[in-house]
Amino acid sequence: MNVLTVMLNAGASLAAASSGALTLGSSGGASFWMPERASTVSADVDWVFNLITWVSIFFFVLILVLTVYFAVKYRRTEGRGAEPSPSHHTPLELTWTIIPLIIVIIIFYMGMKGYIDLRTSPANAYEINVTAKRWDWTFQHSNGCTQYDELFVPLGRPVVLKMMSDDVLHSLYIPAFRVKQDVVPGRITTLWFEATRPGIYNLFCAEYCGTEHSQMVAVVHVLPEEEFQARLQHCAQWINLVPEESLHLAGARLFSQCVSCHSLDGSRGIGPSFRETHELWGKEREFADGSRRIVDENYILDSLNNPGGEIVKGYANQMSSFRTMDDKRKRALAEFIKRLDEFELDANGRLIVPPLPTPQTPEGGQ
Amino acid sequence: MSTIHSHSSAETNYLTHSRGFLSWALTLDHKRIGVMYLVSVLLSFFFGGLFALVVRTQLIFPGMDLLTRDQYNQVFTLHGAIMVFLVIIPSVPAALGNFILPIMLGAKDVAFPRLNLMSYYLWLFGAAFFLLALFMGGIDTGWTFYTPYSTDADKGSQFAGVIPALTGVFILGFSSIFTGMNFIVTIHRMRPPGMTWFRMPLFLWATYATAVIQVLATPVLAITLGLLAMERAFGIGIFNPALGGDPVLYQHFFWFYSHPAVYIMILPAMGIISELISVHSHKHIFGYKFIAFSSIAIAIFGFLVWGHHMFTSGQSELITVIFSAITFSVSIPSAIKVFNWLATLYKGSISLNTPMLYALSFMIIFSIGGLTGLHLGTLATDIHLHDTYFVVAHFHYVMMGSALLAMIGGLHHWWPKITGKMYNETLGRIGAIGVFIGFNLTFFPQFIMGSHGMPRRYHDYSGVGWLPEMTQLYAPYHFWSSVGSYVMALAFFLTAGYLIHSIFRGRPAPANPWGGRSLEWQCSSPPPHNNFDEAPTVGDCYDYSVLEWDEAQQGYRWRPDVPRPGAGGANPYKH
Amino acid sequence: MTTSTHHAHDHPPHLAHHWETPQQQFDAGKLGMWLFLATEVLFFGGLFVGYSVWRGNDPELFQYGSRFLDTNMGALNTAILILSSMTMAMAVTFAQQSKQKALVICLVLTVLGGAGFMVIKYFEYTHKFHDGLFAGPAFYNGPPDPTKAHLWDPSLPVVTQEQLIAARMAAATTPPPPADATDAQPLTAQRSAIAPPQAGPSGLNLHANRASHDSHGKHDLLHPLQDPHRPVNAHVFFTIYYLMTGLHGIHVLVGMGVIGWLAVRAMKGHFNSEYFTPVDLVGLYWHVVDLVWIFLFPLFYLIH
Repeated sequence: MNVLTVMLNAGASLAAASSGALTLGSSGGASFWMPERASTVSADVDWVFNLITWVSIFFFVLILVLTVYFAVKYRRTEGRGAEPSPSHHTPLELTWTIIPLIIVIIIFYMGMKGYIDLRTSPANAYEINVTAKRWDWTFQHSNGCTQYDELFVPLGRPVVLKMMSDDVLHSLYIPAFRVKQDVVPGRITTLWFEATRPGIYNLFCAEYCGTEHSQMVAVVHVLPEEEFQARLQHCAQWINLVPEESLHLAGARLFSQCVSCHSLDGSRGIGPSFRETHELWGKEREFADGSRRIVDENYILDSLNNPGGEIVKGYANQMSSFRTMDDKRKRALAEFIKRLDEFELDANGRLIVPPLPTPQTPEGGQ
Repeated sequence: MSTIHSHSSAETNYLTHSRGFLSWALTLDHKRIGVMYLVSVLLSFFFGGLFALVVRTQLIFPGMDLLTRDQYNQVFTLHGAIMVFLVIIPSVPAALGNFILPIMLGAKDVAFPRLNLMSYYLWLFGAAFFLLALFMGGIDTGWTFYTPYSTDADKGSQFAGVIPALTGVFILGFSSIFTGMNFIVTIHRMRPPGMTWFRMPLFLWATYATAVIQVLATPVLAITLGLLAMERAFGIGIFNPALGGDPVLYQHFFWFYSHPAVYIMILPAMGIISELISVHSHKHIFGYKFIAFSSIAIAIFGFLVWGHHMFTSGQSELITVIFSAITFSVSIPSAIKVFNWLATLYKGSISLNTPMLYALSFMIIFSIGGLTGLHLGTLATDIHLHDTYFVVAHFHYVMMGSALLAMIGGLHHWWPKITGKMYNETLGRIGAIGVFIGFNLTFFPQFIMGSHGMPRRYHDYSGVGWLPEMTQLYAPYHFWSSVGSYVMALAFFLTAGYLIHSIFRGRPAPANPWGGRSLEWQCSSPPPHNNFDEAPTVGDCYDYSVLEWDEAQQGYRWRPDVPRPGAGGANPYKH
Repeated sequence: MTTSTHHAHDHPPHLAHHWETPQQQFDAGKLGMWLFLATEVLFFGGLFVGYSVWRGNDPELFQYGSRFLDTNMGALNTAILILSSMTMAMAVTFAQQSKQKALVICLVLTVLGGAGFMVIKYFEYTHKFHDGLFAGPAFYNGPPDPTKAHLWDPSLPVVTQEQLIAARMAAATTPPPPADATDAQPLTAQRSAIAPPQAGPSGLNLHANRASHDSHGKHDLLHPLQDPHRPVNAHVFFTIYYLMTGLHGIHVLVGMGVIGWLAVRAMKGHFNSEYFTPVDLVGLYWHVVDLVWIFLFPLFYLIH
């Protein structure tokens, strides 16, 4: 990218953002300090935040005004020395010890109350299992719907996330919901929220986790109950409606689970590019241990089931197993790689996903 | 010249006392060791600052590709590790403290001069390990070395510099411990007759409190990093969950040191500010005992609050609430100090010179840094703000805007004493104001984008999955933050320029250019090898009424009509 | 004025220029030493905290692991260290009384005590190394040379970590077996061919079995790798054991070196009632090293 376009883009985004900040301010409870509010706890958290901010502003202005006033009024001029004044005054000291003490006790109490609300999940909450692995989020619903970097949640119903990590520390953070919880390998952590505004929001990984940390970003869709149920159904079922001859198109939809490690343009990623695998279709591939194998459908299935079994030469064993994925999805991915030459990439190197031939086109669900 | 060094009977000062490379490399003189520390720390600051500029440039626009993601991760790790371990922790205690502390106390040297020199070489050795880490492939773990990312070379950081960097920090830790031990013993055992505890300048109280933290907290960091290195090298299964370890235990160990370490950074800075505000207002410090005891209180409370770095880590809710409660206790002694400084300014004779401008900047910046700490100590809001740019802005306001600017203010204050030269006052003021503006422009926008949810340690704020409105939301704040960092860099280069210039071309400094009462202003500038040609007069170190301006020296001198107080109290060592 | 005060006192060769009196220098040295010892205590303190966290999380690891430590050797080492602490204390007294010969003898005895401690430690360590009881993942490789391993029974299969975890999960999901189901599961069945199970019918209740291990002598122990009743992550116990005793061992070695140096200086007659600071300070260090062991011994060897 040349420097000029970067600067032009940034200029445009700056202008958009400065006006955007203002327009956001009028929608969804966003303010100068806080993003839009989309969960039941947001307003409480913002209330505590604003309380502390106003207390802080009061003290800051007090200190600032006094500092500047004294610095100007008592600045050293010809013939003016320091005027005598006491160098200690115990009642004054006690005043500015005790008043802040009372204030911080109140703030602590407000914060503790809010925290207890944040950590106490309602009993009837809808459970979603979350697996964090570098650098993707996997969300599993109880009906079998599994989504990658995309989370559907019902509007107005409490949701509990049960979170596990496959590798290092991560942290699930949804700014609009004001919730955050670290995901720790070796234990299950939980997080709950109840979304109050339909819309789409970003979900970030907040705990540093390596190379693609800044891309470990997912999208949260808050959906009204009926739409939520319909999407969930579709997410679990759509693959069954795909006819065998269109499996490669289904595979293109599933590719979003692979994109963070496997490129389509032949460039090297965390794992080998699918372009390379495609070009080797029917030919032999060499593995780290020196063995060789013909690239075919079975090879793809084995790689999904047991990624550590055959590691392509020059790469590390970093992929986690997709053993629990159903067979049709696995076959769809194999078909996709086999027929990769039928697909096109856009200017940014992203896959253009053609529509499925079935009347019902899945959106977002995989 | 002879008028300027009028009362100096010695022909030489500590700089000219002996010559040659070895006379510096093997010196046991605390002043020379302090100067060597100062040069080393400022050099490290230069490199740490360069890394910061690279980080800010990468973030100035969304989608920048100045650095690859891995390079970015390495650069922010190095920026953090260098600034914390090589710059801020040794800056005031080891560099300025080494030079000033014994003179301020009226001692001839620190208690263990050889140990002092060894501390310096340990520092150099530790810094060399950082270089080694760079050449061995770098580190990308963040300065916190969180497990299991840092311990697993396959799944986590594949960069091979982790163990050398851990070794470096381990060694730097011992450098810090030995400096702390030296200062504690010096203050306990080397006070001259008349220098009672409550006659000590507040800088000494602050350094003393710091030294206590250094001695008590750093060993825990040493053992933690030792365990971490063994975990990475041999997989001993202490912190790595795959081997039966507990990653949260590492965080507890790490913050048990690293939270008190924040006070290792800020307490001496507060000590400097107490001196600067009083001296440059020619006004007795207000609430001496409250300031002194608040330093001790901060040192004690500082040991009890480490869990506030871990509110979202998965530690138990009860512990979280307890840590939050104790955390607020730290805010009280800090508030006491700020109000006492304000009261000191009241009715003073305030000289708005360079050191004082830094001190006033400190008051404003530290207020912001401290008050935003309330947002982070409060549980309900910290859950939202943790690991965002709000935290980044908060700790830069405290660690950089407060600790480091106080150090630079102190450097200007004691520059005439250290080098014997005066710097250009006009350029000094321009530099101080430039740093203040640049600093706030850099870090204030980070508060806003942080509270809007921008996570820290992100290489980019656009890409797959990013909603365009989020990218647009964060973009202007990142842009202005980067612009601010350039302003700050320019001001720092200006500062470096006129300071270096003054060494060669500066006007010779008088013994007491500011009218300070503490003992270092009673010896010549620069001080003689043995610190004092005549025994210094110990009195109330904040009583400025006994000094008057001497036009001939361009400095202050003792008023002839006021008798010098005799040494009060008996020397316990003289029988 | 300061210079004149200097020369008013006689400035002994061991008094550095920045001190006024030997007493002041001695006091400073002593305070410095106490501070150094405080850092040592915190250094070990980190490990002791780690120990208690681990013990709190997985008490069975420690109950199980301590069986493989030799209490007799540990007790002997404790006695030796306490004795050496005594000779060190005597050395300080003799130094203060300017008794050169007694001082040298006591210092040499102290060094010998440290050496005895290290020799016994050496035997303990090599014993475990022969059995393959290593720290970290090497633990799961088994004995490097099975013929030297006295716990290893070649006729028994190795129980892997995965099998242990699977057995635990099964135990957690199935109801407790009936009282007579001795052969209900294969792992104990293999074991019963060699010797009767430790506590009768065990099923998969791993904890119930371990409770009675005290009634067994050392030679009834199974090698941990072959023991279906060992806790998951049994290696962690040995990791912590080697870390803490190893770090303590390093401190003993350092102490021996420094006391040896004191002995040489004492032979040259450097110490007398006027100047005995180094003996006094090293004595403090040696007592702290001793004290750390006084904590390590019960924590690893005695408490089950």
